[in-house]
Amino acid sequence: MTQETQSALTPEVQAMIGVTGEVVEGWGIVDEEYLRRFTQAVMDPDPRYWDHEFAASTKFGEVITPPIMVSYMSSRIRPDQEDPITRAFEENPMSDGIGRVSRPGSLPPVPTNLVRVLNAGNELEIYKYPSIGDKIFFQNRYSDIRERVGRDGRPFLIITSETTYKNQKDELLCITRASSIRR
Amino acid sequence: MTIALEDLLQMSAEEIWARNERPSGDELRNKEQTYFDDVYDGMELPKYIYRPTPTHLFRWSAAIENFHRIHYDLDFGLNHDKNPSILVHGSWKQSVVPQFLKDFTLPGGWPWKARFEHRAMLVPGDVLIMWGKVTGKEEKGGMGFVDLEIGMKTHDGIESMPGTATVVLPVRGGEPIPYPFVPPAD
Repeated sequence: MTQETQSALTPEVQAMIGVTGEVVEGWGIVDEEYLRRFTQAVMDPDPRYWDHEFAASTKFGEVITPPIMVSYMSSRIRPDQEDPITRAFEENPMSDGIGRVSRPGSLPPVPTNLVRVLNAGNELEIYKYPSIGDKIFFQNRYSDIRERVGRDGRPFLIITSETTYKNQKDELLCITRASSIRR
Repeated sequence: MTIALEDLLQMSAEEIWARNERPSGDELRNKEQTYFDDVYDGMELPKYIYRPTPTHLFRWSAAIENFHRIHYDLDFGLNHDKNPSILVHGSWKQSVVPQFLKDFTLPGGWPWKARFEHRAMLVPGDVLIMWGKVTGKEEKGGMGFVDLEIGMKTHDGIESMPGTATVVLPVRGGEPIPYPFVPPAD
């Protein structure tokens, strides 16, 4: 690395590895109506998702749900917070539809002046299918931050955030990891 | 026997769509177990073919409450973000992966883990091929661990989601795979 290109992996950035958010209880429960909408949208007709009698005869012993369906429960807009969609369009009729929202359990930002964000990939580890009626508890963590050097000789960061999902019995359901490139 | 990915990609989009091997509910209900003993290096999994339309994209946005306009507002996508059309969600592709692995391992196996990247913008009109190929296998703790290369190609051969996965299959005559899944200690 030349003198002009300073490392992006500063001590402050390195200190973020392992930083963990609070455990957050997702809004609502895993319910059959959410399950129906989700499985129809992903186009999975598996009767294990709706036929209780059949599902009880399988190794799972009950109706199951797609493993990462619960990951979208963690991004639900809670009714006990200000609605970011309403606010976004009040502020800007050309809003992208996302709005700025601080979600419970969010990690603090990585202190870098690299602002361009690109999706670098995802990982899934699956241990148990969530059950109907489950409450979902999730926790975020910066599991890894690495530095790479681009073709232009400039350093960039690959930041990996890990989210662990458990149910009300503290059973591990799944772990997801999302890596983003910061240039 | 599924058609080889290489052969599928020689076909037109319509011909590829006609080769869709996504199982019906009844096929999933009656699925016979693929055992660890049955798989071999280079074995290809059934091809799941998708033809996403604006309605499919809207339904996915609604199901997961993703309100980003690039997925359903064509005017916004074209004129604001300068995209070629509305875009297929990365989250939808990500949710197809465990479904694809689940179906392969049913009724007694387990779709343990996967990793993949998102590389290409997918739009309505693309015909998408979810594919998988066995790259290795190892028996550990009485369970059959099978490594896969996976991806989702467009009908013109662009790989939009290169990745890998590991699934667990029962060994013929062996113990059932535990549920919830507990991997053996290394």
